[in-house]
Amino acid sequence: MGITKKNSTILIALLICIPVFALIHLSVGQIDISFQEIWRALTNYDEHFVNEIIVSEIRIPRLSMALLAGASLSVVGLLMQTLFNNPLAGPYVLGINSGSSLFVALSIMTGVPFFASDFGIIANALVGAFLFGLIILFFSRLVRTQVALLLIGLMLGAFISAFVSFLQSASDAQELKVFTLWALGSLQKVESAQLPIIILVSFIGMAGAFLIIKPLNILVLGENEAKLLGVNIKRVRLIIISITAILTGIITAFCGPIAFVGLAVPNLVRILFKTQQHFILISASLLMGALFILICDIVIQLLEPHFLLPINVLTSIIGAPMVILFILKRLK
Amino acid sequence: MIRTEDLKIGYHSPLLQVENFTLQKGELYFLIGKNGSGKSTFLKTISGQLSPISGRAFLNEKLSTEIPFRDLPKTVSFVSSHFPIVDFLKVEDFIALGRNSHTSYFGKLQASDSQVINSTIKRLQISHLIGRFTSELSDGEKQLVAIAKALVQETPIILLDEPTAFLDYSNKTLVLETLKRISVEMEKCIILSSHDLDMSLEMNCPFLVVNFQEKSLQLIDSSVSKQDLLRIAFE
Repeated sequence: MGITKKNSTILIALLICIPVFALIHLSVGQIDISFQEIWRALTNYDEHFVNEIIVSEIRIPRLSMALLAGASLSVVGLLMQTLFNNPLAGPYVLGINSGSSLFVALSIMTGVPFFASDFGIIANALVGAFLFGLIILFFSRLVRTQVALLLIGLMLGAFISAFVSFLQSASDAQELKVFTLWALGSLQKVESAQLPIIILVSFIGMAGAFLIIKPLNILVLGENEAKLLGVNIKRVRLIIISITAILTGIITAFCGPIAFVGLAVPNLVRILFKTQQHFILISASLLMGALFILICDIVIQLLEPHFLLPINVLTSIIGAPMVILFILKRLK
Repeated sequence: MIRTEDLKIGYHSPLLQVENFTLQKGELYFLIGKNGSGKSTFLKTISGQLSPISGRAFLNEKLSTEIPFRDLPKTVSFVSSHFPIVDFLKVEDFIALGRNSHTSYFGKLQASDSQVINSTIKRLQISHLIGRFTSELSDGEKQLVAIAKALVQETPIILLDEPTAFLDYSNKTLVLETLKRISVEMEKCIILSSHDLDMSLEMNCPFLVVNFQEKSLQLIDSSVSKQDLLRIAFE
């Protein structure tokens, strides 16, 4: 059962890559900041230096969000793929992100100030993700094939987008602005004061995933086998949907929808690590997801002088062809 | 090991009346009957996936419906007719999943678990399959590996749903001989459903036969003739 030498080597490589790329991430941007300045901002912060303020108030929050978004969405994708026994499942394709969007839209458009506050947006994004997680769970009990579930997820997404568009057309200018800014999605909107709560919530979600590695390992065999081996399926399903809602909700609330990470990264991890042990799969998805968004965001910042690339656009450009590749490989 | 008392089984309405009988440890039983006659229903009832319509079944002297959900995998193991199709699942990881109800919260294998797994692998002579992916195995190898997973559960009762259905002659013989040997050596009570009447007769084991006319499940001695067996099960 242990971890093979090759797999632990890849894990260690990922662990080394993340701080290296994190440093690069902190140094790139509209203003060049040297590694010495970054080091000083981290160890001996002095608010008299503008560059150190930029590091601590702008670049560290953005870096944190890149790491958290990548890690969270990849873990969610992995959990959903195991739960539905479907390698093409993920928070985006099954409409969980859209559920969050719908609830945030509804809450902003109601015009109640509380709902448009940070806390209101987080709460609504979580509730939306949870509700649509339950809806997908319900449909997964009705349909037997993997493709049918994916189609239902896509249709749910399309349905919600239409509904959100309708809400937008019916809302006034101020509400529209708040929602549009949110829906564009980016890693930049988080302020350093909001970081602790986001870190706390996503760590709870990811820790939750590690707490259920044993049933996840068995769930790979299908629900019937898992039941025969003594797994309480109903409880595990509910825990997975809750973790999905927490992680997707918190990331969607602050970064907007980010596509394909949750689908592409866990598949890449499975192909690379060739195992079904979820301790390795979760650890690897978490690290590789974080690294993936980190590198995407470095690319975005390097391209910024020429054109502005939203994070959601870049992950789709990279992720969608990757997913097509996986499908072709499976159908062969 | 398995004792039935006025047991009626079925999904929503009674499908079969099970005779009162006691199945012993150290024996291999062949469950014979027409398609759709209720063989799977019986296996599902004994393995706790289905509640009896009425009457009682005792597993290892405990009433089946009173065995807690978590303890059932320590009493009955079940080898389903379809081997799960999963990418990148190593044979040793697959077999180790059978230890689920014995391991602690995170499922880490202790020395005692590894010992059970290793001795099972040795007993079934499948050590050459360790390190391979389950998706790469032949049908016969898959069946042996699935039996290994059931054995590491260390249950007194093992049920198999048509374990020889997809196998060629030599693999059928290998699987059946192995099961027979296990039932004797390890004193297990093993029931397997099968369509292969000739093969079953060769093994010289007792039969559980679904009497299609009477809608009942009967225990029949191994000395039964093929003609009688055919008459009871298929007429």
